[in-house]
Amino acid sequence: MSESIKTRFLVICVICTVVAGIVGIQMIRIQNTEAAQRLLDASENYQGVNRVVYPDRGNIYDSKGRLLAGNETSYEIGLDLNSITQPETVASIAASVLGLDYAQILGYAQMTPGNGNPVYHVLDDFVSQDKIIELETIKADYGSRKAKGNEILPNIDGLLWTAHSQRTYPEETLASNILGFYSYLDRTGGIGYFGLEEAYDSQLAGTPQEVFYAFDPQRLSTVEEVPPGVTLILTLDREIQAMTEKKLDEAIEWSGAEGGTILVYDPEDGGVIAMATAPRLDPNKYWEYAELFPNPTPYNAAISKTYEPGSVFKVLTMAAALDSGLVDPDTRFQDTGAFNIGGATIYNWNMGAWGDVDMTECLQYSLNVCMSWLSTEMGPDTFYTYLKSFGLDRKTGIDLGGESNWPLKLPGDSLWYEVDLATNSFGQGISLTPIQMVMAISSVANDGRMMAPHLVKAMVIDGQQYDVDPVVVGNPIKAETAHTLTNMLVNSLENEASNALVEGYSVAGKTGTGEIATPYGYSATETNASFVGWGPAEDPKFLVYVWLEKPSISIWGSEVAAPVFSDLVSKLVVLMDIPPDSVRLAGSNKTTGQ
Amino acid sequence: MKKDILQAYKQAPWRVQIQWVGVFLLIVIAVATVAGLYLYISGRSAATGRRIQNLESELATLHRQNNDLETQLGEIQSERALSERINSLNMRSLTIDEALYLEVPGYVPAEGPSFAPPPTIKEERTPILLPEFTNTFIEWIASKLQAGTQSPTPTIEVQP
Repeated sequence: MSESIKTRFLVICVICTVVAGIVGIQMIRIQNTEAAQRLLDASENYQGVNRVVYPDRGNIYDSKGRLLAGNETSYEIGLDLNSITQPETVASIAASVLGLDYAQILGYAQMTPGNGNPVYHVLDDFVSQDKIIELETIKADYGSRKAKGNEILPNIDGLLWTAHSQRTYPEETLASNILGFYSYLDRTGGIGYFGLEEAYDSQLAGTPQEVFYAFDPQRLSTVEEVPPGVTLILTLDREIQAMTEKKLDEAIEWSGAEGGTILVYDPEDGGVIAMATAPRLDPNKYWEYAELFPNPTPYNAAISKTYEPGSVFKVLTMAAALDSGLVDPDTRFQDTGAFNIGGATIYNWNMGAWGDVDMTECLQYSLNVCMSWLSTEMGPDTFYTYLKSFGLDRKTGIDLGGESNWPLKLPGDSLWYEVDLATNSFGQGISLTPIQMVMAISSVANDGRMMAPHLVKAMVIDGQQYDVDPVVVGNPIKAETAHTLTNMLVNSLENEASNALVEGYSVAGKTGTGEIATPYGYSATETNASFVGWGPAEDPKFLVYVWLEKPSISIWGSEVAAPVFSDLVSKLVVLMDIPPDSVRLAGSNKTTGQ
Repeated sequence: MKKDILQAYKQAPWRVQIQWVGVFLLIVIAVATVAGLYLYISGRSAATGRRIQNLESELATLHRQNNDLETQLGEIQSERALSERINSLNMRSLTIDEALYLEVPGYVPAEGPSFAPPPTIKEERTPILLPEFTNTFIEWIASKLQAGTQSPTPTIEVQP
C-alpha cells in the first residue's frame, strides 16, 4: 500500500471520527437541554394515567343472606366533541333514546372544543341498561351499512357511554328505616344518611385509591385491585321484618294511631330481628325524604323518638325493688288509692283503691300507687342507681345513625322534683326511646344480662368474614331476680286473661299507657299505648315491644297494643320455628324442626 | 513447531485476515443472539401486558355484571315479588295452628350465611409478571447463575 493511500485513509478516519464525535456530543447536549426535559416530562402523560378508583359500595344482607342493599350498573352519556362528525345524527339519536332536548344536544355537539369549551360534555347520567342496549343496536346498525357511491352513511361517533355503579335497594321501602340511604346521585361526594348507611358509611364506601394505569404493557407489574367496601350481614330477618311492618301498618290503621313502632329483639345476644316504624321511605328515591319526613318526623322513631313510656316501665321498677331485696313476690301492699309525695298526690289509672295486693297483683293491676311506694321505699339513690345501670341515662350505642336520647333527670338536677321519684316509677316524667326500653327490659329476659343492641352480625372485609361478637353492657339485676320477675309477669298476664296471650306459648309481658304531656298538662285523651313481652318465658328467644302513638279507638295499652303483640307473636313463632310449649318442653333435649 | 506456524502465516497472510473476520463474526453473532433474545423477551412481555390490560377490563365488566345479576336476583326474590307470586299461586303463609313440629334426632339448624372464609394469615401478593419479563438481560443472567448455585425452585404459573 502506497504512502498516499495510507494518508488518504488516515484523513478519512480522522474526518469520520471528528464527525461521529460531533454527532455524539450534540446528541448528549440535546438530551440535556431544557426542551428535552420538558419533552420527557410531557411524555410521562403518555405512559399511563392516574385515576381515582371508587370501590363498589359494600352490600347489605339480612341474617339469611338476602340482599337488602347492593349495586347495579348505570351509565353516564356524554359527547366527545373531537370525535363527532355528524352532530345532527348524534343529537337526533340522543334526543329520541334518552328523551332529551334535540336543540340543546345539537348546540353541544356543534361546539368546537378548546377556547373555553370542554372536549367532553356530559349529556345524562344514571341511564339504565335498556337505553344503552338501544343505543348499541343503533350503532351496530349504522356500522353494518355499506355506502353506495358517494353516499354518506349516518354515524353516532362521539356519543359515548361509560358504565359505573349505582346504589340500589331491591326491597324498596322494606327495612328502609334501618338501612338509611346513600346519596348516589353525587358520584364522588355521596354519603350515607341515617341507619346503617350512616353508621357504617366509611366502611361501606371502602377507600378510594389513586391507581396508575400504564399504557406501556411492560410497566404492568401488578394488577391494582381496589378492594370493595365492607359487606354487612345483619341480625335482621327480612321475612320477620316484612311481617312486622305489615302488622304495624294494620295496627295503625285499625287503632287510628298517629304512628307506631314495633321492635323484635333477641334478648340473648342483643340482635335486632325486626324494627318497624312508619312512615318508610324508598331509599332508591331518597330525594323524597323531605316530603315524607317533614320536621320533626324522625327517620326511625325506634331510636330517635323519645316518649313517656307509661306502665311498661313498671317492669324496671319492680326489677329494682326485687333485686335490692326490698320486696319479694309475696310481699303485701295495702293500696289506698292515693299516695302523697312532694306536695302532689299519685292515683291509680282508674282512681280506685285496690286494697290488699301482692307484688304480682301490683303488676297485674298496674298500680301506680304501689309503684310509687316501691320507689320511695328504695329511695332516690337506689332507684336511680338501678335506672342508670339499666342504661337509661345514655344512648344505647346501637349501630344505626340518628340515635338520640333525653337526659335522665336525677336528684340534684334543677328540673328534678321529689314527685319525680314517684312518677318515674310508673314511666311518667321520664322520656325514653323504644330501643332504650328494649335494651333495659331485655335484661329481665336474659338472666339479668343486658346486651348491646346491634344490627350487624358479621362483616366481609377484603374477602374475609369477621363475626361481630355480642357485647354485654351490664348486669343490672341478678339472674334470680330476672327469673322471679318473668314468672310474676307470666302469671299476671294469665291471671287477667290478657289480650296479649298467645295460645300454646308462655309469654311474660306488661302493658303500658303513657299520658302525653301538653303545654297545659297531661292529656287525658291522648296516650302512648304500648306493650312489652317476651317468650318462651323459660327460655326467651324474642322480645317484642309495641308502641302506638295516640290511638283513637282506645287509650289503653291493654286494649290496643296487647292484641297487636299477640297477633304478631303468633306469626313470629312460626317464622322463628319455635314449637309450642307442649312440644318444646316435652322434648326439651331434642332439637325440633318445622 | 512454533517456527513452522509462524512461517506458514508469513507464506499465507490471508490466514490472519480470516482470524480477524472470524473474531468479528463471533462478535456479530453474539450481539445478534442477545438482540434476538431481548426482542423475544420484550415481545412476550408486551403481549402479556396487553393481555393483562384486556383481562383487567374484562374483570371490571364481570364485577359489574355480577353486581347486576345479584341485584336482579334480589329483586326477583324480594319480599314483594315473592308475596305476589304466592298470591298468584293461591298460596298463603302457614298459621300457628297449622304448623306441625317433628322431632328430628341430630338435626342441627342451619348456620347464618357465609360469604367468605374466616380470617386467616394473608398471603403476599405474587407479581403477575415473571422476573424474566421485567429484569434487564444482565439481571436475568445473574439471577439464572444464582439460581444455578441454589436448589431448584418450583415454576410459578402466571395467574393474572
